[in-house]
Amino acid sequence: MATPPDAGSRPAVAQGSNATEHPLENGVQHQHTASNSEQAPAVKGKAKDANGTENKKKTAEGSKDGKPSGKELKEKSKAEKVARRAQQKQAQQGQPVVDLGPEKQGDKDARKQSLAGPDSNFPKTQHKRTGSTSTGGQKPMPFRPAQAHAPPIKEEPKKENKNVALFDHLYGNPRRSTVAGASRDVHPAVLALGLQIRNYVICGSSARCVATLLAFKRVIESYITPPQTSLPRHLTTHLSSQIDYLVSCRPLSISMGNAIRWLKVKISEVDISVEEFRAKADLCNAIDNFITEKIIVADQVITRRAVEKIKDGDLILTYAKSSIVQQVLVEAYRKGKQFKVIVVDSRPLFEGKNLARALAELGLDVQYSLTHGISHVMKDATKVFLGAHAMMSDGRLYSRVGTALVAMTAKEANVPVIVCCESVKYTERVALDSFVHNEIAPPEELIIHGEKSSPLSRWLEVPNLQLLNLMYDLTPAEYITMVIDESGYLPPSSVPFMQRLSTNT
Amino acid sequence: MLTPPPEEPPTTPPSNPHENTSLPIDITQTYNHLLHTDPLLTHPIAAIESLITLLSTSPAGTISETLALLSSATNTLKTTIPNPIPLSAGTDLFQRYIISTLQSRSSSHDHNARGGGKGKRNHYQGGVEDFRAIRAHLLANSRLFVQRAKEARGKIARVARKFVRDGSVVMTCGRSRVVAATLKAAAEEGVRFRVVYAEDSYSYPSSISAGTTGSKTTDVVGELRARGVPVAVIPFAGVATALGETDFVIVGAESVVENGGVVSGMGTYQMGLLAKSAGRPFYVGAESHKFVRVFPLDWGDLPVRRRGLDFRIEEKERRGVGEGEGEVDVDFTPPELITAIVTENGVQTPSAVSEELIKIWY
Repeated sequence: MATPPDAGSRPAVAQGSNATEHPLENGVQHQHTASNSEQAPAVKGKAKDANGTENKKKTAEGSKDGKPSGKELKEKSKAEKVARRAQQKQAQQGQPVVDLGPEKQGDKDARKQSLAGPDSNFPKTQHKRTGSTSTGGQKPMPFRPAQAHAPPIKEEPKKENKNVALFDHLYGNPRRSTVAGASRDVHPAVLALGLQIRNYVICGSSARCVATLLAFKRVIESYITPPQTSLPRHLTTHLSSQIDYLVSCRPLSISMGNAIRWLKVKISEVDISVEEFRAKADLCNAIDNFITEKIIVADQVITRRAVEKIKDGDLILTYAKSSIVQQVLVEAYRKGKQFKVIVVDSRPLFEGKNLARALAELGLDVQYSLTHGISHVMKDATKVFLGAHAMMSDGRLYSRVGTALVAMTAKEANVPVIVCCESVKYTERVALDSFVHNEIAPPEELIIHGEKSSPLSRWLEVPNLQLLNLMYDLTPAEYITMVIDESGYLPPSSVPFMQRLSTNT
Repeated sequence: MLTPPPEEPPTTPPSNPHENTSLPIDITQTYNHLLHTDPLLTHPIAAIESLITLLSTSPAGTISETLALLSSATNTLKTTIPNPIPLSAGTDLFQRYIISTLQSRSSSHDHNARGGGKGKRNHYQGGVEDFRAIRAHLLANSRLFVQRAKEARGKIARVARKFVRDGSVVMTCGRSRVVAATLKAAAEEGVRFRVVYAEDSYSYPSSISAGTTGSKTTDVVGELRARGVPVAVIPFAGVATALGETDFVIVGAESVVENGGVVSGMGTYQMGLLAKSAGRPFYVGAESHKFVRVFPLDWGDLPVRRRGLDFRIEEKERRGVGEGEGEVDVDFTPPELITAIVTENGVQTPSAVSEELIKIWY
């Protein structure tokens, strides 16, 4: 960087290098000592600069110092504090501090930056950006070597990143496993619900949606508007803390998101003049109606339509467990249709086991297989029924991981794929792949417990081994023959149309 | 599911035996008669026209009576006609029209009544009067409705004609009047094109199409040849071979179902499959009143009395006359084989059909 540090900063450097009692300078020096030997070329580069002499002195001084004593350490920390304060001041003056601080860039550089005048700061940051790519040598670059002075990465046993890189953006905080640390506003019903959802006690898009709404109903019932605020204004924020807690247990499902959005609109529409108890009763009624209309009755309508599509002699294949598909199969059986069922299932949740057991207990002829047998069992299947976590507004199906495989195999075998989906699960979002939006479950779930010698049980210690436990995948619309929602049979291409229709009215 | 019961259930009027017994006219006969007398009539329009005829002769004076009458007549039609899909497009459309007209009328009347400070009783009476007006209006306009439906064919021909260009070779099959109109329009315009016509090796006795045209297949071929269009007649077995020299395929349809697939004469599906694998565009010409709210998963899911495969171990004569009466030979072409559907509103993709239908129903 051609711009020399201004007059104010240079004396400071000079003084610091000579006067050891300067606390700031001292601290900087000690940090440098450790990395001095490797940074020889960098120092040389610096020597070209006008400040060369000072630098030489500094390095000489640095190498003289041995291990920092206790007092020096103290001074060092003091120095860091001063540097930080100086930087803060600079930031307050409205100058962009691109440098992230002494910890990252090396103390000397940071100090120089902090001491450098405001006019020299801008070019410096620009320089840094190009610094990594330019080969250097064209221009004297006084501060560039300092970058290479980065504090030595301590060779402590660094914990390996066990996140799969492609899905790195999906790893949030680990799921909450206790109620400890939850906001005190969170209602006990919600506290319990969060853990139930986390542990898959309540599992499935519709079930989670209903359970959330019921819990929120109890929240509303026990809610008292604090003084000097009104229910429509305060209740939404009160709900937000409940929602935050639920999210920390497990990300919200699309249906929960839709229901919560609806509820918030309902709350904001509450007339301020209405008495509180009445407003609360109205809201609870509205929640009940929502559940009845959007889930219970919708399920009945879907079931009726789907049963019409089951013919005698059918061999229905389904994947994992969907409550609506279970309803359909049970209802078709009750209606006396002669059909058999293949349940395809997968690790680690084995949701299909429950479905297979329930249907077999009912008296249905059930075959159970895992996904690796899919191409084999698909040969005999005549129809595939799938549940949904959500339907995207480009007609794609977002559902339990493995669904896309089943749908694709069915398409390959020319077996119609029927998706049963309540319109509360429609989202206006568009997803092109399963990478951008997804949910990552704890990888430990993949480890088979009960066996002492599970090969994965020590996976954390195996280098370069990562486990990926995705919850969902995306099925392209062309693999889906038909979507059944409460308004009728639809091709997947009409889902956005219905979605618009159901949100507008 | 053929037609979902209307949201406003045609509540059975107090006189329950009224339901099935007292249809003032034989609706099936009317329907067949209409098809026989007017060779240009399509099935949905014939169904609508017979329902209008029924209304004009019926003594029904109230809304619920009329709705009950309509639904029982519709059910009669659907059960007696072997392939009820095309006609159900017409009856559904008619039912929706009546219900929506009644709703808008009654709501506007309701509004007026409230504005005038009248009671509820007045509103009901007004509804009856309104309904009489609607009926009169319907009957007066029935010819216009049919006329428009017939004009739709000409409009489709004007749109679809543009696909036929100088030097192109067009393949078609069946007895579609839309396709015939399109090709004739192109020929009259002076486009020099050739036609490959795939003919059934033996004609299926099909009661639904029996009366529509005289001696069907040769009609199209003859008419085109009379206009100077060279036509090659091939058996269905030769379609795959002939597709190599064909530019595109255009066929008609009996009905267009919700996912954009078409129900059409036997052989269309096969032609669609072959055209797809040969990479030739496959166009379907159909009036938008042929859109029907049926969603078959495949051919076996069609709500028609279809002829199953006739497995046997002893030799048998070919079908005698009258055998297979009441069974239909239609097939179902799934939407992924169809390049575009040409309607009087323009060229649409198969996926647009569902949206058009949703617009009608909601």
